[in-house]
Amino acid sequence: MPEGFDSVAWLSRTRAEGDLAAWLALVPYARRIGVDVEPDSEGNGLRFRLAPQQDNIGNVLLPALHGGVVAAFMETAATLELMLAAREPRLPRIVDLSIDYLRTARVAPTFARCSLLREGRRLANVRVCAWQESETMPVATARLHFVLGEPGARGE
Amino acid sequence: MAFKRLLEFQEAIGVTPTFDRSPATWRRALSRFVQVIPHTRELGLEVVEVGPEAVRMRLPWSDDLLGDASRGLVHGGVLIMLLDTVCGSAVLRGLPAPEVCPTLDLRLDHYRPAVAGQALFAEARVVRVTESVVFTEGWAWQEEGRPVARGIGNFVRLGPRNTPPGFAEALFADEEVGGDA
Repeated sequence: MPEGFDSVAWLSRTRAEGDLAAWLALVPYARRIGVDVEPDSEGNGLRFRLAPQQDNIGNVLLPALHGGVVAAFMETAATLELMLAAREPRLPRIVDLSIDYLRTARVAPTFARCSLLREGRRLANVRVCAWQESETMPVATARLHFVLGEPGARGE
Repeated sequence: MAFKRLLEFQEAIGVTPTFDRSPATWRRALSRFVQVIPHTRELGLEVVEVGPEAVRMRLPWSDDLLGDASRGLVHGGVLIMLLDTVCGSAVLRGLPAPEVCPTLDLRLDHYRPAVAGQALFAEARVVRVTESVVFTEGWAWQEEGRPVARGIGNFVRLGPRNTPPGFAEALFADEEVGGDA
């Protein structure tokens, strides 16, 4: 059986098993920046984690994480959450993203939680909150729109 | 830490900044800037050109940029990281004197997927500078004339008081010591 996001059977199986490790294995940039996922102890969704890696630093004077790396972490979280939470197996493709930076992200473990605010037939809206010390003090919030693609279907 | 040593060195030799600099000087300064940032250094980001209006960069291809290895598509986060960096560099170029300016917010529109195996290019320019904010916009592409993404980034001016002394000198360090890298 072919394995990968464009295989309907593979996507359905990994989704049914909640095998996000299999998904992350196919996302090299997320692996490079150190994205991981764990069941959310305080809710039904997922809690994502970004490892505090030296090569994620974007400001050596503070030091602080690269804002773009924090955004890439949040986009990964939103995509995986949406793939798992969608009514059917779907391949989200990002349309646009807006991120607000609220506090300096130190070189420390960073967490993210997502809310699927709307899942239409073709489009989805996901909100992501990222924090370090406390969820009540976010380092960034983001809003993303995705087109929900049929796995196996090609197209722009 | 290399940056810190530079700052100390520049302070020690007592150089003073000037802001009337050539495109080549700016290209070296911003190359230094992206070399000092661990994330962009490790990915091999290059400064291609710094004009009076725009800053252009090139991110060479590496398999680590993939967001979907099965279909060979670039991670959207790579484009945010790239545009944040190129817009932030345009801010340094666009201010009367380099200041530390963190990103306030960023908006990215994805026009088409970026694909495996090709370098990514990005260009950004400052649209407007106010007392407290610098407004920028930028584009990313793989093939000329076919943009993959557009970004709009706003940056906060922390002002000279919150900018470490020697920040500008460190950017232009190779000029001040007579080097011609």
